[in-house]
Amino acid sequence: MKRPSAATHMSEVDVQPGSQQAPRRPRSRGLGDLALAVTAHGSALLVFLMAAFLVGVLAFAAAPSFKRFGPAFLVGTEWRPNELERPKLGPDGKMVIKDGESVMEIIPPAFGALPVIFGTAVSSALALAFAVPVSLATALVLVRVAPRIRLGAMLSFMVEFLAAIPSIAYGIWGLFVLAPFLQRHVEPLLQQLLGDLGAFRWMFYQRLTIGGEVVERPLALTGRDMLCGGLVLAIMIVPIITSVSRDVLRAVPRAQLEGSLALGATWWQSCVAMLHYGRSGLFGASMLGLARAAGETMAVTMVIGNNTTIAASPFAPAQTMSSLLANEFAEASSELHRSALLEVALILLVMSLAFNILARWLVVGASARPSDAS
Amino acid sequence: MTTMLTFRRAAKAAVVTIVLGAAAALGNGDVRLQGAGATFPNPLYQKWVSEYQKVHPEVKIDYQSIGSGGGIKAITEKTVHFAGSDAPLSKKEIQALGGESAVVQVPSCAGAVVPAYNLPGLTTELNLTGEVLVQIFTGSISKWNDPKIAGLNPGAKLPDLAITPAWRTDGSGTTFVFTNYLATQSDQFKSTVGTGKQVKWPVGQGGKGNEGVAAVVQQMPGAIGYIELNYAQQNKIAFGAVKNPAGKFVKASPQTVSAAGEAAAKSLTGTVLVANIWNQPGDQAYPIASFTYLIVYRGLKNLKTPAEAEALVGFLSWAVQDGQAITTSMDYAPLSSGVRDAALQALKTITFEGKPVSTGGR
Amino acid sequence: MFWLCVGACAAVVMVLVLVVSYLVKIGAGSLSVSFFTQAPSGDVANPGGMLHALVGTLILLALASLLGIPAGVFAGVFLCEYGHSRLAMPARFTADVLAGVPSIVVGILGYELLVVPLGGYNGWAGAAALAFIMIPIVARSTEEMLRLVPRSYREGSLALGATKSQTILRIVLPSVGGSILTGIMLALARIAGETAPLLFTALGSRLITYNPGRPFPSLTAQIYTYATGPYPGQRALAWSGILVLIAMLFIINLTVRAVMARAARIRV
Repeated sequence: MKRPSAATHMSEVDVQPGSQQAPRRPRSRGLGDLALAVTAHGSALLVFLMAAFLVGVLAFAAAPSFKRFGPAFLVGTEWRPNELERPKLGPDGKMVIKDGESVMEIIPPAFGALPVIFGTAVSSALALAFAVPVSLATALVLVRVAPRIRLGAMLSFMVEFLAAIPSIAYGIWGLFVLAPFLQRHVEPLLQQLLGDLGAFRWMFYQRLTIGGEVVERPLALTGRDMLCGGLVLAIMIVPIITSVSRDVLRAVPRAQLEGSLALGATWWQSCVAMLHYGRSGLFGASMLGLARAAGETMAVTMVIGNNTTIAASPFAPAQTMSSLLANEFAEASSELHRSALLEVALILLVMSLAFNILARWLVVGASARPSDAS
Repeated sequence: MTTMLTFRRAAKAAVVTIVLGAAAALGNGDVRLQGAGATFPNPLYQKWVSEYQKVHPEVKIDYQSIGSGGGIKAITEKTVHFAGSDAPLSKKEIQALGGESAVVQVPSCAGAVVPAYNLPGLTTELNLTGEVLVQIFTGSISKWNDPKIAGLNPGAKLPDLAITPAWRTDGSGTTFVFTNYLATQSDQFKSTVGTGKQVKWPVGQGGKGNEGVAAVVQQMPGAIGYIELNYAQQNKIAFGAVKNPAGKFVKASPQTVSAAGEAAAKSLTGTVLVANIWNQPGDQAYPIASFTYLIVYRGLKNLKTPAEAEALVGFLSWAVQDGQAITTSMDYAPLSSGVRDAALQALKTITFEGKPVSTGGR
Repeated sequence: MFWLCVGACAAVVMVLVLVVSYLVKIGAGSLSVSFFTQAPSGDVANPGGMLHALVGTLILLALASLLGIPAGVFAGVFLCEYGHSRLAMPARFTADVLAGVPSIVVGILGYELLVVPLGGYNGWAGAAALAFIMIPIVARSTEEMLRLVPRSYREGSLALGATKSQTILRIVLPSVGGSILTGIMLALARIAGETAPLLFTALGSRLITYNPGRPFPSLTAQIYTYATGPYPGQRALAWSGILVLIAMLFIINLTVRAVMARAARIRV
């Protein structure tokens, strides 16, 4: 029997059932053990295989796009799946004329991921900005107030049920309730209040290049835009941030809380102490929310407006990596288009994995602390 | 222990369900055909399928409207038996399918792309020209009360409202037809936005599918989107008349679309039938019209049994003949008799395992 | 600040109430018997029902369970009972990371691995994509539950001469069988509501389908097509579909809560 390595032992906080092995048994009785060991190891191996296939297959299929565009894919601002046919311009900037007709040139499709990376980053950031304060407040109430008035279980259930509602249901609500509400009431009001202030002008106007000239135009307020995407995402990630934060706050030692109260801290001051104590776990909870927001597809596709360009305004339609995939993957008939989409999927995967890994590390670190002490 | 029992019972139930399901699937002798593609003719195709089933109950057909691009991709990868597309196959796509001799493409009906708009308070119908549409969709006209629109619509109460162009985000034949029409109106459009099933629009908002664009138009005052005639009709969305090459403002209808398609019959030859019918001459012809196509392998190499082959060819032949009778009631334009004949001729060249397949159904 | 926090909590509850009440309102208004008894009719004005999608979702869930539950449970057993293995830490980490993979990416993997090579959209690919999402969740929840079993159970069993496999299969697993089942139920609830992984794998179908080798209908995919479509009759079906789905998930969640509460009481 292999001795557990020191490293595994250290990182395993909990008791290791089975690590205390009974003495070796006769072979005949080991057959069942062997079968179970093989099955269990096989299942674990399957988990590794799944991860390997995920990364391997996507990377393989994205290879043509990677070869073609290289790292420039990440910063390319144009996503245009069609070819353009336009008059060829000579070095003097004039049209090249041959046999009395202008010579045409074909501009190949262009694929740059920056607009969707931008869309995912901004919509997720908006979602976090809305969701984190609300979630932390809710978690505090769940931990410190609700148990005293016997509402804890009820509230926890409601928050968890909010997490169980499928994405498409939020999408439908966003599309038919939230987006029209934003379009008719919220956005015109904001425009009235802020539209003429210089500092907010960029939110309500867009710069367009029309016929070689840059003009400034008022933005059409549609309600199906980055703001709506961010809000729907916020609603969807409140449950996960709340429930993880609740667990983190529960793990704050009572002594910590009682100590601060004994020193005469107000309710809020003692809350701050709790938040401060659990900060890395709470940050991890937010990262989990961020990972969820970045990967969310159906609801976002239905409300974000699906425009693959970079616009500064939160009232402009946008596109995220996942909504781009939902919109175009089934339709991509050219090899390059499909491969570019797979590269977007790969970027999305790597990004959400990075958030997840960071989050796990922080949350596990935070909630492991009490057991460390024991 | 009881929970483990429940566990086993659940597992047993699952196995039984699947075995029964598999048995049911194997047990009946039904032929099942899978199609996918264009969303524009989807309502008509669904109706065709249910009508055809009344005559041939043993044939089950499933058509999934995933978009023209998706349909062509699916048949190229042989993941469906037949594809629907609003845009004819490109040269590259024909090559991917195995060359012109390996493919049969026939028009199934004709349709129109209409400029649908949402202008509260407007009581009259809007008149538009190709040039104005280009300027709207590229952003040079940005208000509804722009003199260029007002000039076409004397007496109309045009609001001081921002225009939001709405367009398809997915690869689609509707975009193909609309951009090709706009390209005939403006060279600058052709060289900046270009033509294709999916292009990059400089302004406006995207929607997925005809339905997505229709939804944007319906929900947003000031929006104008290009959608198929039947979607506009079904949803009672107002749409404008467009000036044709003869100088007349024509509103899309099955009649004006058929008028555009009539002239095309002569140019339909071979097995890959193609005719672009936008911007056609004729007083009655609606300018943003197009055929929608059905695509199969000529050797039916993606089918498994002769019964499937017969069912598929039977359905397609039925569609271009008897099926035409119900097009008008659903706001599609029927094929003219010349086009029908050309389509039937092409379908007659289909073979399965080297033998010709009857077009008469079973 | 106290009241601000309570207010935030109330806002969360209010949003839940708003969303659910809206969905229930529009869903209940259009729910009818034909929803459960008919397949699509092909006529947009009178579109039939969602029987095909209900059957489809149930079969997809059954297939995904068949693939996902054994693998998930045994991976959980591995993580807890074979925790001394050098594979345990990386396996736990990988499972955690897999649980966070965006579901649309899983759908794309299913397309590349099981749709293109098998020559068509098919139910197997859909079920596999759902199982992919299910396995890490079940594995981790099983592991957590197994950790709750006191070490004395294992030691007692081993001391009485039982083998390791007997100890795990007969003593350890059954003692938390109910909790593991709730973990499985939660995973099922999660995948029952998934749409994105099915878009490029099972695709959808308008026919009642039993053969997973074909494009396969599901409740969520059908709701998506109908809800974003222009036909009022089909939209009404989508509303009802959402209501049925949410009711299903609500019941699962409620059951799980009840079971967990009981289990907790027994343990204490």
